[in-house]
Amino acid sequence: MFSYFANPERFERLARVVTPWAWGGAAVLFAIGLPWALVISPPDYQQSETVRIMYVHVPSAWLAMAAYAGLGVSSFIYFIWRHNLADLAARALAPAGAVFAALCLVTGALWGRPMWGAWWVWDARLTSMLVLLLLYLGYMALRAAIEDEKLAARAGSILAMAGLINLPIIKFSVDWWNTLHQPASVIRFDGPTIHASKLWPLSVMALAFTALLTALVFSTMRTLILERRAAVLERKREQRLEAEASEGFAE
Amino acid sequence: MSAALALFSRELKLAWAGGGGPAGPAAFNLAALALAPLAIGPDGDTLAAAGPGVIAFAALLATLQPAERLFGEDAADGTLELYALSGAGLATAVLMKTLAFTLAVFWPIAPIAFIAALAYGLEAGPALILSLALLLAAPGLALIAAFAGALAAGLKRAGLLIALIAAPLQVPLLVFAAGAGRAAAEGTGLEGANLMMAAAGSLAALALAPLGAAAALRARLE
Repeated sequence: MFSYFANPERFERLARVVTPWAWGGAAVLFAIGLPWALVISPPDYQQSETVRIMYVHVPSAWLAMAAYAGLGVSSFIYFIWRHNLADLAARALAPAGAVFAALCLVTGALWGRPMWGAWWVWDARLTSMLVLLLLYLGYMALRAAIEDEKLAARAGSILAMAGLINLPIIKFSVDWWNTLHQPASVIRFDGPTIHASKLWPLSVMALAFTALLTALVFSTMRTLILERRAAVLERKREQRLEAEASEGFAE
Repeated sequence: MSAALALFSRELKLAWAGGGGPAGPAAFNLAALALAPLAIGPDGDTLAAAGPGVIAFAALLATLQPAERLFGEDAADGTLELYALSGAGLATAVLMKTLAFTLAVFWPIAPIAFIAALAYGLEAGPALILSLALLLAAPGLALIAAFAGALAAGLKRAGLLIALIAAPLQVPLLVFAAGAGRAAAEGTGLEGANLMMAAAGSLAALALAPLGAAAALRARLE
């Protein structure tokens, strides 16, 4: 399957369909989810209105983690099979995931101030998310520091895979270190403990964020492909001009 | 194996004598530990409570400090190419080099931790546990720093990049090493578990970091 979509032509055909649908889907889902989550849904009996932050906070956290998983998997595919598109996917996923991680931390701080009485507490989940953000930043800084594009891709893929292996260990060590954050309440074996009046808008918001990430990744990948193509054309033009100039000298 | 041993003894001699040997990171470690109380304040209880964490953190910084020259010089002068051709394999070369470097350059971390822990007001027992924890964690910290150093070898401003790459990966070792010292100081009885986890972290780094670093260096040679 990876090899099938490694063909840029085939990817372009897929992307041409997926990109507008993802953007459109994100727009529609946000149009439904934002008013539902931020205005219509009932306030919480304990957290009152501040519960609405959760509708942005939780999907950002999910997507930040999902994007890192995607980054690790596409890095693996690139490292083993050297499919350029996998590298482009990794390049597109990193900044998007970093923004989601940052959004998760900021909304968490805004929620923590009224609920916990502090902007920031050194709790296990917050700290893991902060470390995840650092992993994203390290990945992007490494890629930005290496000028050679192939080498940047190789080094980046190695770092992303190392981060993916390390992430569960970091998570475990930080859990070991301290736990204050409420335990997961949606994805559990015995079904969600969150009330349906909140679960529905949360689901719509999660889908909206997913559609947004998909749209961002596909758009960025297409832009990167076009950039590369433009660079090749530019180089060809320069070569032609040089050849013409040297012919002119010969005459 | 003889190639690996030859590599080990060469790197050991170079790390011991060249570039000041253990003096640079040890001085850096000591400076960090001397400055921290000036920032925290002279209150004995606060210092004793913060001690294990500050000392483990200073040890982490000390392992990051020489990571830039670990592979940076080898990449610049062609030693890497020779290692890749040596028949021992790049991963073995990385492993031998990092272990030799840890042995020659990072050995002061444990004694410094012991003395600093006493200076921060910990009892001798917890100080010894903390020192042992850092002895166990130091190879792992060094291997992760070496992995980051291999990724950033030969780049401009590699030092900053190495810190940014290595720091999140070193989180578990920092947690367990400092945790062992804290558990011993607070008497929670968890120091044994923390020591084992620190050793496990070092062993995991021992298994994975040389492969990752070798892959990074090979990408540079192609």
